[in-house]
Amino acid sequence: MAASSSACDAGVRYGMRRGGVLALLPHAHMHERAIEREAQALSGAATALLQYTPQAAFSDDATIVLDIGASLRLFGGIRALCRRVRGTVRQLGLTAAVSCAPTAAGAALLARHCHLRGHHHPRTLSTPRLQRRLDRLPVSALPAALPYLDWLKGIGCRNLADLRRLPRPGLQRRGDTRMLDALDCAYGEAMELHAWIETPPSFRQRIELTERIEHAEAAQHTVQALLAQLCGWLTARQLAVTQVCVQLEHERGRQAVAPTVIELALAEPTWQDAHLIRLLKERLAQLEISAPVIAVVLEAARTEAMAPASESLFPEPGGTPEDYKRLLELLVARLGVEHVLQPSPLADYRPEQANRWVSVMEPAAPLDARPLPPRPGWLLEKPVALVMRQHRPYYGSRLHPVSPPERIEAGWWNGLLVTRDYYIAAGADHCHYWIYRERIGDVDGVEPHWYLHGVFG
Amino acid sequence: MPPPSLDIIDSPQSIHSSLWRASQLARGGARCLDTGFAALSAELPGHGWPTGALIDLLLRQPGAGELRLLGPALKALAPRRIALVQTPHAPQAIGWRQLGVDATRLLSVRAATSADAAWAAEQILKSDSCAVLLFWQRNLRKESVRRLHLAAQGGNTLFVMLRPLSCAQDASPAPLRLSLTAAAGGVDIGFVKRRGPQRDTPLFVSLPSLNLLHHASVDRRTPAPVAAGSVLSELVG
Repeated sequence: MAASSSACDAGVRYGMRRGGVLALLPHAHMHERAIEREAQALSGAATALLQYTPQAAFSDDATIVLDIGASLRLFGGIRALCRRVRGTVRQLGLTAAVSCAPTAAGAALLARHCHLRGHHHPRTLSTPRLQRRLDRLPVSALPAALPYLDWLKGIGCRNLADLRRLPRPGLQRRGDTRMLDALDCAYGEAMELHAWIETPPSFRQRIELTERIEHAEAAQHTVQALLAQLCGWLTARQLAVTQVCVQLEHERGRQAVAPTVIELALAEPTWQDAHLIRLLKERLAQLEISAPVIAVVLEAARTEAMAPASESLFPEPGGTPEDYKRLLELLVARLGVEHVLQPSPLADYRPEQANRWVSVMEPAAPLDARPLPPRPGWLLEKPVALVMRQHRPYYGSRLHPVSPPERIEAGWWNGLLVTRDYYIAAGADHCHYWIYRERIGDVDGVEPHWYLHGVFG
Repeated sequence: MPPPSLDIIDSPQSIHSSLWRASQLARGGARCLDTGFAALSAELPGHGWPTGALIDLLLRQPGAGELRLLGPALKALAPRRIALVQTPHAPQAIGWRQLGVDATRLLSVRAATSADAAWAAEQILKSDSCAVLLFWQRNLRKESVRRLHLAAQGGNTLFVMLRPLSCAQDASPAPLRLSLTAAAGGVDIGFVKRRGPQRDTPLFVSLPSLNLLHHASVDRRTPAPVAAGSVLSELVG
């Protein structure tokens, strides 16, 4: 049984009946305990924590033990590691008491006891200190001692130090060996054996939401929790992901709607979640969903072997090519593929054909280094027809040509025929413009048609 | 307290590099990049474009010569990338190459709203993987400008925001604000704001010519239509 802190403030206590709680808090949400969802959350947390060590195991009473002996150096010491573990747990939407000690059983005892007492994150690094700390714990903190609490209390045995002072043969005869074994393991006097968690060969996790959500953006926290699990799985299996697939499942039953799928393909394989979180955040913000979401599924669609980057001694200015690719992916995720462009010039005489820009996700053609007459930096999307004033094209002021003409005549083969004479023209404001005169239509002696096609910067 | 000695008043930069007298240009502190125009560099604090800070270029009209003015700096930063956000027209790759900028270095980002454009600019600044960011913006909220300036300070990007001259009235956190007006053979640069003395007269900088007679040897001389037009108007008039 559990209650939120605001409920506890309102006077809700453990052991109350439903009617009593409703009398105190008429709008309280009551949830039935769902054992299988608890187990799912716990195994999800264990998967996510695999990013810190390959050796994780379940201990009794919703406790996960991690062997971090080999990870301390990598994550920058015990404090930094504990901070990261707490951050990951928070990302999963759970709360945890984190403790560390030379023995796994001892750490588990301390964490459980401190969690009940509301203490925070005890850290013990040496065996004598751990033993002193354990000595002060009440007997009830040891799960194996729970069946014998009454007679232990009757003989005045209150804490673990008292329990250890009792003669071993007597305890063994009256109780069972599990209590003594647990005590020995916690004090570091016996070997501990753990069944380390095995990771499945493929990753597909589903989280059912407690409420139906209407906006895709609200699913972000659930997606983050799933991504944390994905990270743990990737690290444990030494893989990197190149494509992930998020499904937002909608209401089933009569009005069944097919799940909304977000496919995310990455140019650079990754095994850390920061970039994935940013990309999915942008995608979710863009997404319009047709029906409320009830569950979120995350699948690692394509993976490959992890290749850790080799760090160089002197970092290059401007970051690595991977940084640049990550930036492009982020821009594409929010703005769309068609709005992030790179030049891919075409070998064509017509400027509007030659100046081709394609999405950064497509391969680009190189520019051939052909000497050409001056070309403006800016090309108008659509040429602007210029009015004539005193037989000169007019754009803000009368334009006078300052260069010899360049004749461009091409495109008869695909119906986009252009017959143009281009000039560079200067206005009274000293700006230079790229204008052209249409030659077709000029044959019968009507006024020439002038167009503005570019601006020199 | 004894009066401070005279040479300290004369050169406050000897106390700290970010101190300067109102009559002299600031020096030190910012990393700078040579502009390629000696006359302009001499008038700028740090003798060049500051990187990792917002530079405001206020254009009287688009095409006032801003590309040719920035050209040497863009060329000096090769082969690193140049990001163009919200360009006024489509950039023409051949035209940029003639300015000395290789087309493969260009990245053009277009956004539907100004909020999206500001977001894109901020991401580019934060990632620090482009050497130059040129950002065209008409009206941007004051908070967004400040935010972009802060993002620029985190990196080493040459960040130039190009806006119409009407924005000169608005307050801006940019340490350097210049106005550009096209002039015959170059550009007139007005110093709206700089870390240094106020300068009221614009500075004329002669820009490299457009190489107008590039193919003169191949082609005919100056064309008929102009001559014909002028003669005709005289006849009619």
